[in-house]
Amino acid sequence: MATANIKDVKRRIKSVENTMQITKAMELVATSKLRGAKERAVASQPYFNTLYETMCEIQQDRGFKSIYTKKEFLKTVLVVVLAGDRGLAGGFNHNILKLAEDKINSLEKDGRTVKVFPIGKKAVEYFEKRNYEIYNKDYQISDNLTMSKSLSLSESIISGFRNGIYDKVELIYTTFVSTLVQNALSVTVLPIESRDLKDIKQDEKTDAEKSQKTSLTLYEPSAEEVFDGLIPKYISGLIFCSIIDSYASEQAARRTAMESASDNASEMIDSLSLLYNRARQAQITQELNEIVAGQMGNN
Amino acid sequence: MVIIMNSYKLKIVTPEKIFFDGETEQITVRTTEGDIGILANHIKYVCNIVAGPLRVKQKSGEYREAALSEGILKVSDEGVTVLASTAEWADEIDLERAEKAKQKAENILADKSRADEFGRAEIKLKRALARISVGKRYS
Repeated sequence: MATANIKDVKRRIKSVENTMQITKAMELVATSKLRGAKERAVASQPYFNTLYETMCEIQQDRGFKSIYTKKEFLKTVLVVVLAGDRGLAGGFNHNILKLAEDKINSLEKDGRTVKVFPIGKKAVEYFEKRNYEIYNKDYQISDNLTMSKSLSLSESIISGFRNGIYDKVELIYTTFVSTLVQNALSVTVLPIESRDLKDIKQDEKTDAEKSQKTSLTLYEPSAEEVFDGLIPKYISGLIFCSIIDSYASEQAARRTAMESASDNASEMIDSLSLLYNRARQAQITQELNEIVAGQMGNN
Repeated sequence: MVIIMNSYKLKIVTPEKIFFDGETEQITVRTTEGDIGILANHIKYVCNIVAGPLRVKQKSGEYREAALSEGILKVSDEGVTVLASTAEWADEIDLERAEKAKQKAENILADKSRADEFGRAEIKLKRALARISVGKRYS
């Protein structure tokens, strides 16, 4: 019995070691990708902030009305879901898909028609399997979505909105809080609500300063047109930022998951080694016993 | 007579990076209303820019050219900010890629069954054309 056991334990140690090598490697890869994603997130901030400020300024200046702010009866809602391409990222994909499904169910309960725009392989698979109405599945790979790709992605979202295929766009993605915490959340992208814009500057400037600053600005050809031109960019920016955010979250979630997997593996190896040594010891003891017993029999 | 021009702060920002951050005396960009030049002490001004060339005057007095995609230009007290979806200096432009993008966009525009993609194709075509026209002048 002892011999068989030793072999077994040895084989298990080997297999756990192999798994650990993989999880270790994945952890390292995720760490370096996370660093890259963080850098991209920081680099995209100035663009987005300036856009946002300009929009707020126009809005304070003239007030605005555009097709992107219409508030008609909302019938069809497009739900954009950003998930990952690969699993083994802890609860990352599960959390986001769960939130998306809850959101869709509650929208459907309210009598809305829901179209799903899944981004990332996991999201596409998930919603296809459950027979949701899929609006577009051209963006299966969310890994390394470049600026030009996310531009055309947001352009297709905007053009659908302009053509009246849907009249509300919800974006569901994971936001990166810290390496250990990532939150799944849902934001309304379109129509733009004026209260989304106002908040930012209120505390920074007094009313007098505000009215003075804005009334002097010249808009060409007109404030409305500048505003209408800004919105698609604002939305592309928003989507681009959330793609980066979601990507960073995925890598962070994977890193954490792989770290604990590696820890578990090394724990397992420790306890298996103990078992192995015990079995080996028992075998030696038994052999000694047999030799001694044989000697005694001879005498 | 030597005319000394005042310089101002210029920032060109894309979602991927801060493309340019420094002092200049003059820039030229293409807006929806035509090409405009901005000198120092311009009044506060906001306009949309379309895909096209951008010229930035450098300290040496020479102009450096770049291809911009659509965006906005904003003149404020702090200086001039240009926001564009993409920006490349003339020597960074990948002409081959631009030609391909142009071809692709033209194919979509020629295909009547894809009318719903026209808007996007048009934007792409304009971007490609801006790159090609700037890139060719420098290659």
